[in-house]
Amino acid sequence: MSSEEVKVEGACPTDEVRIGVYVCHCGLNIAGVINVKEVVEYAQKLPNVVSAKEYIFMCSAPGQDLIREDIKKCKLNRVVIAACGPEMHEPTFRAVLEEAGLNPYVLEMVSIREGSSWVHYEDPEAATEKAKDMVRMAVARARNLEPLEKMSGEVKQRALIVGGGIAGLASALDLAERGFEVHIVEKKPVLGGHAARMGQLNVEGRKVSGKDLVDYLVKKVKDNPNVHIYTNAEVTKVDGSIGNFTITVKLKPRYVNDKCTSCGKCVEVCPVTAPNEYEYGIGERKAIFLPFEGAYPNQYVIDPETCTFCGKCVEVCPEGAINLDEKEKEITLEVGGIILATGHDPYEPPVGEYGYGLSPKVITLHQLKRLLSEDGPTKGELVIDGKRPRNIVFISCVGSLGTTPNANQYCSRMCCSASLLEALHIKEKYPDAQVFFVHKDVRTYGKDENLYWKAIDNLVKFVRFEESPKVTVGKGEVKVEVEESTIQERLVIPADLVVLVTGMEPPKEIEELRSLFKVGCGGDGFLKEAHLKLNPVESLTGGIYLAGTATGPKSIAESIVAGSAAAAKAASLLSKDTIEVEPIVAVVDEDKCSGCGICVSICPYGAISLEKKEDGTRVSKVDPMLCQGCGTCGAACPSAAIQQNSYKDKQIIPQILAVFER
Amino acid sequence: MSDGDGFEPTIVVFACHWCTYQAINLAGTSRMKYPPNVRVIRVMCSGRVDPQFVIEAFKNGADGVLVAGCHPGDCHYVNGNMKTMRRTVMLEKLLQDMGIEKERFRREWISAAEAKKWVEVVTEMVEQVRKLGPLKLAEREVVMNE
Amino acid sequence: MKPVMVVGGGISGIQAALDLADQGIKVYLVEKTPSIGGRMAQLDKTFPTLDCSSCILTPKMVEVARHENIEILAYSEVLEINGEAGNFKVKVRKKPRYVDVTKCTGCGVCMKYCPSKVPDEFNLGLSERKAIYIPFPQAIPLKATIDAEHCLWFQKNICRNCEKFCPAKAIDYEQKPEDIELNVAAIIFATGYELIADHSLLTDQYGYGRYANVYTNLEFERLVSATGPTGGEILRRSDGRKPKNIAFIQCVCSRDIRMNPNCSSICCMASVKEGILVREHHPDIEVTIFYMDLRAFGKGYQEFYDRAKEEFGIRFVRSKPATIVENPETKNLILYYEDTHASRYKAEEFEMVVLAVGVKPVVPDSFVPIGEDMFAQVKDPYLDPVASPKPGIYVIGMLNSPKDIPDSVIQGSAAAMKASILACKS
Repeated sequence: MSSEEVKVEGACPTDEVRIGVYVCHCGLNIAGVINVKEVVEYAQKLPNVVSAKEYIFMCSAPGQDLIREDIKKCKLNRVVIAACGPEMHEPTFRAVLEEAGLNPYVLEMVSIREGSSWVHYEDPEAATEKAKDMVRMAVARARNLEPLEKMSGEVKQRALIVGGGIAGLASALDLAERGFEVHIVEKKPVLGGHAARMGQLNVEGRKVSGKDLVDYLVKKVKDNPNVHIYTNAEVTKVDGSIGNFTITVKLKPRYVNDKCTSCGKCVEVCPVTAPNEYEYGIGERKAIFLPFEGAYPNQYVIDPETCTFCGKCVEVCPEGAINLDEKEKEITLEVGGIILATGHDPYEPPVGEYGYGLSPKVITLHQLKRLLSEDGPTKGELVIDGKRPRNIVFISCVGSLGTTPNANQYCSRMCCSASLLEALHIKEKYPDAQVFFVHKDVRTYGKDENLYWKAIDNLVKFVRFEESPKVTVGKGEVKVEVEESTIQERLVIPADLVVLVTGMEPPKEIEELRSLFKVGCGGDGFLKEAHLKLNPVESLTGGIYLAGTATGPKSIAESIVAGSAAAAKAASLLSKDTIEVEPIVAVVDEDKCSGCGICVSICPYGAISLEKKEDGTRVSKVDPMLCQGCGTCGAACPSAAIQQNSYKDKQIIPQILAVFER
Repeated sequence: MSDGDGFEPTIVVFACHWCTYQAINLAGTSRMKYPPNVRVIRVMCSGRVDPQFVIEAFKNGADGVLVAGCHPGDCHYVNGNMKTMRRTVMLEKLLQDMGIEKERFRREWISAAEAKKWVEVVTEMVEQVRKLGPLKLAEREVVMNE
Repeated sequence: MKPVMVVGGGISGIQAALDLADQGIKVYLVEKTPSIGGRMAQLDKTFPTLDCSSCILTPKMVEVARHENIEILAYSEVLEINGEAGNFKVKVRKKPRYVDVTKCTGCGVCMKYCPSKVPDEFNLGLSERKAIYIPFPQAIPLKATIDAEHCLWFQKNICRNCEKFCPAKAIDYEQKPEDIELNVAAIIFATGYELIADHSLLTDQYGYGRYANVYTNLEFERLVSATGPTGGEILRRSDGRKPKNIAFIQCVCSRDIRMNPNCSSICCMASVKEGILVREHHPDIEVTIFYMDLRAFGKGYQEFYDRAKEEFGIRFVRSKPATIVENPETKNLILYYEDTHASRYKAEEFEMVVLAVGVKPVVPDSFVPIGEDMFAQVKDPYLDPVASPKPGIYVIGMLNSPKDIPDSVIQGSAAAMKASILACKS
């Protein structure tokens, strides 16, 4: 089969294929490496090409005008643009085609920038040759592109928010106030996430606790009739696509119902203890417990992982609120859009890293925050090993900047500010305390620089290192040894308390999350945005948005802003009755289909079914709204009867042949 | 791509839109360098790659073919890449029966973040195929069943 | 649903306008210069992805222009705001372009024949434009504007070349300012930033303006840009020669108690990026960055900084140079600094110096309360970080606080969300 033999069906009013090729300079991005003129001259000679032109920026208004005019003047019915890849400008140029009266799907974009000039800049000749090959392949593919009609689907005007931390709450409140129905699914038994446990905060002079912020949002959210809250719940299945998702949610048993008055008798008799995750491992809790005072819902819960189901709590509960036989339930939600506000985990140093786990005098920043919180285990008193520490050493970048073999490479963004804030709390509460801030770099960006100034004013001692410090744990003694890089001296600081300034990590369940929701992760392991700069709260999957620390470390204030931003994206979707979807779905040529059913069995979306025709034979039928356009049916069909629009055999095979000028 | 009279292979790559093609873009925006011997054909999912495409490529002059998609479990279309895996395992055997060295055909999982892996894979593959020399399948006397 | 007004057509304002318009809410986007695009349009590449800035900005600008719910009021300014949240009456002045925008095709013929040359603000004065001009090739709206202050007709009653040569007969010297009143539910201010380039420290300590080869970071951005005055060539102001080495000095007019205690958030990464761009195109130019702390805090920033050191061979010196002295013959620049990692004072000669100058917001007159730190006050830095204390008014982007592009975009979306709630209620 050669490219000329593939017949074009119904692609244009006349049988003649008339292709225009437009090569972009992209300033010097392309033209600085590739000989654009040569590529244009080459393109002009390719079969069916009736016009080939170059311009400094094809995407600019004059560039677009040039294409529009050419389409009309040269009666083009296919357009090839050699510039950047389709991600950014395909919508731009499709609109250009439409405005010039062409179907937007007869466009082929070929990225001679990412695919050639940017990677072969040391060999301009090879880059130019490759660009010519790429244009030839694109022309071969374009020759058989067909006009397609956009399809539209209904939008269910409800949103799912996964995660009831501060970002999820902010998203939920905004969408509810905007008038949309919102479902919050939180896997923990209470709302509030990490923010609720972050103690005293201070931004631009506003002193407030993390718990206050959570309480404020929770109150507004639970009083809003548009909001439905499911705690102790997990999403187990996601079907459908943008505008029309069906979500299966598992409601885990709480074993305690709302008759609970939080009297606490059950806790007294419970024989099982476990480290208290709500205090970041400081102290213990029972198997039946209230995560924290004033939590929402303010209701006890049994942790089935640790509970032995001995039944003692059931015996003492005066309200009969405990039912150990409670079973898990399942509900389904029909939503149009999804916001993932799935948060982060704090970095947990392995035992022995900077002496962590070897002495009660070595704690993490999260634990320090709990100790300094008025609702914390010590009611805000800083007591370590029964004593008030005098020499307090913060070690920054624990788990960040590759400071230890176990650490992540990235900067955790908020830890410098967060730890200086705590250093100032300590100085305010205990003016005689000596605070050392042992750091690699101080990154109090923006207005947070104020914290750095204040810390200097309050005599926090800044010690800088290039090489990671050493913490030695002796008999009751802890020492921090560090090579100070500014004075080039080795310092040994005896410490009553070492605070490891721990950063943020992707949550443990990130793998399950991304395969459940079909969203990607970046190199740092956090969820990946559609575009790091310009689409920071959208995922690559339509209808799924990202808020808070799901995409990477953020402060509480930044998480709230990101929550509102993700809500705006969801609101844009939910305010529409219908959504247009790409028509690159599978289509069946009934004359070729033998009704063997292979496609039916391999379709991951159940979008294909076998239908009986009047003559009794069976043919495959595709539901275009369920089909997501992967094309795997086309690869499996033994008679080439099922084909994916825009990725048909007759579009791909000529592209392969064109590599070899055939 | 001429380097004196040395042989420069042509490698045809089938890349899925969501992972490998994004990695190729990222390699571009990061200005990474790799040999210019690859010709990329973008498909939405590696599951679209019909074994026929690979055979067409070899038959018409490819010295090597790479099929690349998302990592297992990461497929944008649930499990399209697992179908690729199954198909390419069968294909590998067929290609070897046809006398095509195994280094000439590769299947790789390259995520959107793995621009570095993309560069490593194509650099290595070009190197290996360069050593093997031209395939010239048409000149070899093999009967192909289409 | 009442309309919403967005003031400032940079990336933050553009994002706010799009997110409102996509919800079916009418938006007036007011921009005081002839084109939307803001600072981002002037940048060459963006960190840490090295995306070409105009390549990722242009689609958004085009989307704004095409959106049925957005009305761009470019070359316009807000004069007065009356009323309250949900029901503001805003008086906007459309400044005369002296060009009939319904006729102008943006062909640029007028610019060719205009004899009056003016320092080009888009290139920060590194090149010249004409008195009739389109600020940059991707401008939106793509319409010519006559700068009356430099136009020979308005100044000396001569010339009228543009009128003679305009093929669309679009020139109209009689145009007058037009004041319109708009009723909106909410107003989002996204008026952006400028460099603190007017402080005497720049001239006195670092010789900016006195020494030809000292540049600000924004000037350098235009210098490395393909669409800039040198077509992307790095050439010295003094002799048009390519420098052998370049020094970047960080925290100029930032983290300095004398004029601006804040960190400007963007300059560290901007210099790292500019250093990479230099090394990428000219591996023979050595790059040194003098920094205090390297604020590589955002997503992918540390990794970018690591690559700058390891892959691109950029030298990082932890120091803030005390002063610069020019060699009057070679016009080279001698930097005096203390290398804090060696505890030694050093003098080192560079052929070009780039000052990473800090930012200050462009304040929208008296329409929003401003804090002591120069930036707009917010209602609540935690729970309402994009709201001004004045109900119904939002402050985003650099006006709100120093921030990079992703954070400006996020704030744009967040303000759109808040304003949409008001718009839907009214």
